[in-house]
Amino acid sequence: MADAIRIDKLQKTFRLGFIPKTRPILKGISFSVREGEIFGYLGPNGAGKTTTIKCLLGLIHPDAGTIEIFGRSHLSPRSREPLGFLPENPYFYDYLTAREFLAFTADLFGLARKETGGRIARLLKLVGLERAADLPLRKFSRGMLQRAGLAQALINDPKLVILDEPLGGMDPLGRKEIRDIIVRFKDEGKTVFFTSHILQDIEMICDRVAIIVGGRIVKEGALRDLVSERVLFTEATVSGLFPDAFRGLAESVSVQGDRVLLRIFEESKVGEVLDLVRAHKGRLVSLSPRTETLEDIFVETVTRT
Amino acid sequence: MKIWAIAGITFKEAKRDRILYLLFFFAALGIVASRALAVLTVGDRVKIIKDVGLASISVFGVLMAILIGTGLVYKEIDKKTIFTLLAKPLHRAEFILGKFLGLVLTLFVMTLAMSLIFLAIVYAHTLKIEGVLLVAVGYIFLELVLITAVAVLFSSFSTPILSSLFALAFYLIGHLSWGLELIIKKMRPGAGKALVRALYTFLPDLENFNFKTEVVHGLPIPPGIYVSAFLYGVCYTAFILGLAVLVFRRRDFI
Amino acid sequence: MGKRVSAKKVPAALLLTVFLVATAAAFMALKVGADRIVRKKLPGSSIIYIPSGKFLKYATFGYRSLAADVIFLWAIQYYTTPTIDDRFDHLDHIFSIINELDPRYQDPYEVGALIAVQEAGDTRAAFAILDRGAANNPDQWVYPFNAGHVAMMTLKDFSLAEKYFEQCMKIPGAPEFVERLRANALFKKGDLETSWETWLDIYNRAADEEMKKIASNHLYNVKATIDAAALEDAAAKYRERFGHLPASLETLIRTGFLREVPKDLDGKDYVYDPVTGDVKTVVSPWRR
Repeated sequence: MADAIRIDKLQKTFRLGFIPKTRPILKGISFSVREGEIFGYLGPNGAGKTTTIKCLLGLIHPDAGTIEIFGRSHLSPRSREPLGFLPENPYFYDYLTAREFLAFTADLFGLARKETGGRIARLLKLVGLERAADLPLRKFSRGMLQRAGLAQALINDPKLVILDEPLGGMDPLGRKEIRDIIVRFKDEGKTVFFTSHILQDIEMICDRVAIIVGGRIVKEGALRDLVSERVLFTEATVSGLFPDAFRGLAESVSVQGDRVLLRIFEESKVGEVLDLVRAHKGRLVSLSPRTETLEDIFVETVTRT
Repeated sequence: MKIWAIAGITFKEAKRDRILYLLFFFAALGIVASRALAVLTVGDRVKIIKDVGLASISVFGVLMAILIGTGLVYKEIDKKTIFTLLAKPLHRAEFILGKFLGLVLTLFVMTLAMSLIFLAIVYAHTLKIEGVLLVAVGYIFLELVLITAVAVLFSSFSTPILSSLFALAFYLIGHLSWGLELIIKKMRPGAGKALVRALYTFLPDLENFNFKTEVVHGLPIPPGIYVSAFLYGVCYTAFILGLAVLVFRRRDFI
Repeated sequence: MGKRVSAKKVPAALLLTVFLVATAAAFMALKVGADRIVRKKLPGSSIIYIPSGKFLKYATFGYRSLAADVIFLWAIQYYTTPTIDDRFDHLDHIFSIINELDPRYQDPYEVGALIAVQEAGDTRAAFAILDRGAANNPDQWVYPFNAGHVAMMTLKDFSLAEKYFEQCMKIPGAPEFVERLRANALFKKGDLETSWETWLDIYNRAADEEMKKIASNHLYNVKATIDAAALEDAAAKYRERFGHLPASLETLIRTGFLREVPKDLDGKDYVYDPVTGDVKTVVSPWRR
């Protein structure tokens, strides 16, 4: 499978102010995104996520290193033909209507006028903006703007969709919608590259991830490989027993009414706890093994760096 | 073509700028008021109408070009709409040229409208439609095109206020070229004179586009001047746009 | 840029630079060419609508003095450009603007008057400018002085000259020879009596021998002129009567046309030429 994106030793230092104060942002990062996969790009604030994307899109000129998009150097504007980009905050021309905006975007891709009309109609339906199609964008709510942004990112039926924090600021229903859309992209054969803070969502849908900290890639690989299936501990919620009863077996995390939340660190002790509960005629409210999550990896990686 | 797409939305955006209509209003006012002024003179009244009319179109046209032009690129960067735009398969040069063309289109419409009012007022006085006045207007428009290019150039790296000042300075320098010529005549030959002469040739000479006097007084215009002035305008505009593209290409949008 | 720069990018930057140089060269060449084509200028056309000074006073927003400087500078260039044929048409108007904007700016008055007299041959404009200078600067004696000079030398209007010199005399700080200029103007004007009185006054007030000498020379001249006129007049009347000029001045006394033969200021006789009837002094008034 070819690489949708290949970044090699990318470097960028910002020179700001009259007496240039240099601030190195990207210190030589390399990673690749394979075609057809969903790739998550994570890192703490200021690590260089957005800068990487801007280099990709030609908004920032790297000091050193190369970027290839489907084998084409990113320096050529043509490399952006198979791209669709949704920025974190939607900044669009507020005097255009949604329809006009999509038509304009289509023009920028050099799409033939004939097919644009149909495409725009379909996209508006897809993102649920049919009724607002002829309203000027300045009358759109933030959610509507987000959807308009999604539509413009898909106008050229891109092979690679780049999303910068697509899940930020959305309610759980919205986040589910976006997750479903991203998965649908993959089904359609598209490659998806996105940044996010919401690690649970990344864990749910990504094939591969890269973690960038302080301008360097500190972890890259398939999610499966990074996140082991090791059980860290088992959480059990029991009622009808006092916390002391579990001394030596488990750690009592909290008590609420007659419910005790326990953390059992040794797998062997789980059975003993269950026996104890049965013996005292207590009730097992819940039992869940807690495996290592992406968040754990992330926090550990970041604090280590 | 992509340049036309950008020109189209720029035109749409410029159309909504209230400054445009404010300036247009004052220009129209000036042209119509010339009729009142004409009553005060003794002798040929039409000359005042023609002079004031052409001056209004020129002055307000320049103001339009500067006030709107200096915001063109800056607004895109400030409002961050440029991010989604440049993420498309677009050359940066296409962006600059598109913006430029969009404003030129707007100014064309405005100049046309002002000219119509102007011609109407002149017609009301002379019962003649003087096509030659349009020649003067045409070259005023060419001057506006050049000023627009300058405004776009400065807009690509500077704030609107500074850009306006620079563009205005360009305009003033362009009209004071004859002063430099006088100085050269009175200098003693030498390195200094050669330097000033080089500067004089390089700096813009906007009087090249000024046919107001000839047109109003019915003086003959040597035919070579038409082509020469036109080409001068085209070349200088191309030069300025080239600079704008050069500057804009290297910009990082953080 | 990346180390492995794509082959297309280098030519693009180069192309742009070449483009810039080419267009710059083009417009510079066009400019040189255009300068050679002479555009017929309606003489003075660029200043057909010069606003009045009063209007400009308000329009220049408090930068009046600077505006006066700038316009004066421009005016100097304008008037030293010989190809503008009709440049003197608005001489007074233009200088009136400068004067109105900065009435205390002295140079323009003098320069304007100079241009008016020497280049334009327009004494009316010169007087207008100088009168303005005097009106706006009553403490400056140069303006009536220059005006008197113009009247005296160029216009040969001695009455006007006398008026100006008198005006000039009254200004404190005026040089003391102005009163002599005035006395001379009076003489030229033909008002011999006042001229005599004036010179007498000057003689009496004379500070040194040289001044006394000058005054006395003038007095001599005035007296000689008066006397000569009287003598020649009597001779002419004699000729009317007798058909020929008298042989000598004594003849006139005997025939009653003259009461007595005057003597010059030094007590010497005048020289009478019986052929022409002219009466001259025995010595030049200025070489006594």
